[in-house]
Amino acid sequence: MLSLNLTRWVIGSVRFSVIGGSPERFFSLSARSGAYLWDIAGAPDAGACVAARRYRYLRKNARRSGCRLRVRERHGLPFLLAGTRHHPGMWAGAAAFLAVLYVLSMQVWCIRIAGCETVPPAKIEAALAAGGLSQGVWRKNIAPEKLAQQILLQFPELRWMSINPRGSVAEVEVREKTEKPQIADQQAACNIKAAATGQILSIYVSAGTPVVRKGDAVVAGQLLVSGVTADPAGGSALVHASAQIMAETVRDVTVKIGLNRRRYELTGRAVVRRNLDLMGAVIPLTLQTQPKEDNYEMSCEKADVSLFGTMLPVGIYTERWEETRPVDYVLTREQALAMAKEEIKSQVLDRMESGTVLSETDDEKWSGGTLIYSASLNCRENIAEESEIFIK
Amino acid sequence: MTLRKRRDPFGFSELNLVGHMEINGNREAVVDGCSGVLEYNSQTVRIVARGRTVRFTGRGLTIRCLTADALVVAGFITSIEFLN
Repeated sequence: MLSLNLTRWVIGSVRFSVIGGSPERFFSLSARSGAYLWDIAGAPDAGACVAARRYRYLRKNARRSGCRLRVRERHGLPFLLAGTRHHPGMWAGAAAFLAVLYVLSMQVWCIRIAGCETVPPAKIEAALAAGGLSQGVWRKNIAPEKLAQQILLQFPELRWMSINPRGSVAEVEVREKTEKPQIADQQAACNIKAAATGQILSIYVSAGTPVVRKGDAVVAGQLLVSGVTADPAGGSALVHASAQIMAETVRDVTVKIGLNRRRYELTGRAVVRRNLDLMGAVIPLTLQTQPKEDNYEMSCEKADVSLFGTMLPVGIYTERWEETRPVDYVLTREQALAMAKEEIKSQVLDRMESGTVLSETDDEKWSGGTLIYSASLNCRENIAEESEIFIK
Repeated sequence: MTLRKRRDPFGFSELNLVGHMEINGNREAVVDGCSGVLEYNSQTVRIVARGRTVRFTGRGLTIRCLTADALVVAGFITSIEFLN
């Protein structure tokens, strides 16, 4: 029904009254002459609807049936356009609009990149622009497969890429490579040596010959488990030694914390500059200039405009320049100590892969405006470290 | 009689009075093969179909659309008569 009404609106329709004579005869004659009538009303208010261009052919039938016709209503596009017949400017404007629309539809206005996880989309966008795919390029000038290959060569972290131009949108699908896990070499012969100086608390050897025992004191680099094993027949073989050797170690860490500090605070003064990015053209919206002083921090933001999920080639780029001023301050004793302890903790965590701190001895020295904080940590950790046996 | 039987041995002409007619309940009748309207008001619609006259009677009858060989009658149809 909607399509029928739409068709009638496009071709235009006329509602008319049939006055006098024999309306039935008129309807019959009109139908026989090829007219399609609808919404036919009977006497006494006889009338019907007909396509606008068929109306004038009905007059002959009306004369033959002794009726007169009178137009009551006119509907549809032809009657709307008839009002603009004497306004050539409107027709010219419509033609220009269609021409511009046609030309613009042959260009790419939106580049949508999907599938990026670690590689920033901005980098891919820049590479695409260098390869010839940017806002405003002609769609026919894009060679999607060649460009995708070119980008894949530039980004080794990408596994697959597809560029699909659809209308004025170029959809770029990207898949990133999955990192290959590092596989430990379990075949090469190796010894186990001590990674740190300490006293052994426990030994668990899964392969190799242990050369130290529980309770022994060892120094860093000392052989703990040999990769050479002897068999009952008196022969020897090289194996990949593997063991977990827990030892009590001592770690000395020293950090220096300066008490006089400087931070930058915002003064509240800001310069905001806005640009309208319209189809690749940048139009400034504000008259503000970029501050020349160094004491400004800049942050930028780009707001893209999208319609029904489709990004439009329109966006507002905002630059915010905020003035800062240096503020000098002095750390209190508590603050400096807390900072030093935090620093020591992070250093120990960096040095020890696994293990626990059993006890801690601290020492603090204040020299001028600096805190020198030393900590001696008794740790329990795995000191087994593989050392490959090179055979010529 | 012999001539008639030769032309229409199965008597289709007796069955197929008005060409093709579809009736949707008692609200609408679509007549294919209609060649003219003889009478039209809200109680009666009389049409010619394949040389036969068909009369629809009812309430609020309207001819929804009319072409050279088809017609749609809508309204509350109470009877359909096949005349002459």
